[in-house]
Amino acid sequence: MTAAPTRVAPARTTAQDRPRKPAHLARKAVWLVVVLVVVAAFWGVDISWDALWDMPGKLGHYLGLMFLPPAWDKLPEALSATMLSVAMAWFGTALGVVVSFPLSLLATRGLAPVVVRWPLRAVFALLRAVPEVVIAVLMLSVTGLTAFTGALAIAIGSVGTLGKWGYEAFEAVDGGATEAATAAGASRAQVMRWGVWPNAAPEVLAFWLYRFEISVRASAILGLIGAGGIGKMLVDNIQFRVWDVVGVLMIVVVVVTMLIDQVSGTVRHRIITGRWELPVVTALRRRSARAARLEASPSVLEDDVRSGTVG
Amino acid sequence: MSAAVAAPGAGGSPRDAGAGRVAAPARPSRPRRWPARVVVLVVLVAITAWSWVAVDVDLAALAQNFSNAQDTLVQLFQPDYSFFGETLQPLLETVQMAVIGTAVGCAVSLPLSFLASRATNPNGPLLGVVRTVMNVVRSIPDLLYASIFVTVVGTGALSGVLSLVLFNLGIMVKLVSEALDGVDRGGQEAALASGATWLQADRAAMLPEVAPQYVSQTIYVLELNIRASTVIGLVGAGGLGMLIDRVRTFYQYHYLSLIILEILVLVLLLELLSSAARKRLVR
Repeated sequence: MTAAPTRVAPARTTAQDRPRKPAHLARKAVWLVVVLVVVAAFWGVDISWDALWDMPGKLGHYLGLMFLPPAWDKLPEALSATMLSVAMAWFGTALGVVVSFPLSLLATRGLAPVVVRWPLRAVFALLRAVPEVVIAVLMLSVTGLTAFTGALAIAIGSVGTLGKWGYEAFEAVDGGATEAATAAGASRAQVMRWGVWPNAAPEVLAFWLYRFEISVRASAILGLIGAGGIGKMLVDNIQFRVWDVVGVLMIVVVVVTMLIDQVSGTVRHRIITGRWELPVVTALRRRSARAARLEASPSVLEDDVRSGTVG
Repeated sequence: MSAAVAAPGAGGSPRDAGAGRVAAPARPSRPRRWPARVVVLVVLVAITAWSWVAVDVDLAALAQNFSNAQDTLVQLFQPDYSFFGETLQPLLETVQMAVIGTAVGCAVSLPLSFLASRATNPNGPLLGVVRTVMNVVRSIPDLLYASIFVTVVGTGALSGVLSLVLFNLGIMVKLVSEALDGVDRGGQEAALASGATWLQADRAAMLPEVAPQYVSQTIYVLELNIRASTVIGLVGAGGLGMLIDRVRTFYQYHYLSLIILEILVLVLLLELLSSAARKRLVR
């Protein structure tokens, strides 16, 4: 600040010289509201928290009943019930794919007029908002709940998610191919076939598979309210307190779900990247290579991250 | 010249192309992918046919039931708004369960996600154990947790909250630990180089990196929880689901449709809120 020609060593910065810490008032207000909501929820909810104290002991007791040892002789029955659940999931998803595919094309910007697009998107949003179980409850009251109606409930639910992911994928397609097709005189259908589909196909196919994984979980849940399959068997055995059978069923649910996720994840990876990456084989072969790659650019697992966050 | 004919990806035999057939149209031959495609298609059709048989598709019975259910449908399309007062308490409980479940679940999931990411946990065996346990936790559906907790701690909101917490743990740990795998590790390296312990380095350098994603996933999980907590009551775990179960057993469909309408409004409201909040976070 002085006008002296000589250079002065800069004074030590004091608290006043430093830029003031931003107040972040809005952020603090948001935090306050969040804390208040959480406290209010704890305060208002009708729970006697004392029950938590003897929960670990009880839980241990029941886990012991379930898994020490599980009733392995029920395994074949459990597996066949699981197959029914998986069939429900597959059939529902397939039906959902068949229905949602044309609909999502019709909901894509640039491929369909607004009057078609927005109502369709509203329908997707509506279907996504209703949990599958609620759809199943509705179907239960109208048509009765069988494995088939369970599959229909899954199909209706998948139309909501698949429809949305579909038009988002179609809209994310790079405009070049579409423009070229249009310039060459293609009709709307031809633009979809040759301009949009080849670009969006891998992602859309991967979404179908991912939706199947979700449906597998959903079909187990639908069983719990009576649609048959593994869930039905579970709820029956829980009701009659046959805990060792429940243990087997839980093991089956976990193993089958993880297995299907693994297989489907591998296939999805193949569809997106064009390379097979088998879970164990590749992991062993490339363990060191992957570590090196993680150091260099930590962006492996990108498709898993994406598939995990859509919803 | 003829090298252009043997374009990359051309199947068949590129040697033919080089053998002097210059007059052939200068197009790469189509890749021969159809055998693989046919196999895939056959497999898919076979699985679908099997599932068709397994779920016992019976359109006639469906149509029959549908036409028998005229009154049900009429009731479903005429929600009885006078029932609204009675739904308030369960509705509130649903929201409370979702909030508590999210708060507890996300709080517990933070340290677990640091243990479950290769980027923040140098201990291989511990990493493996945490990941395996979390995979198991994640593969059990929420309603199954609920039905087990209902028998362990009794019906009511507590079993609902417990099952939501476990349900959240599975999702949050996966999403956040994968986010941790993806963040820039420069800060952590610097911290480690300057003598910090792994705990300190993760706290000082990695936590701020994932914080936005953590918050964003928390909001997403809250959205999932609202959805889940409306239905876990069906097996007795408190909230709107219990009411659904009650009106369903008494065939009060005009009440049922009101409840479903409420769920719809609740979920859509929260989705709007959550997508707005997450958009802001990302920006």
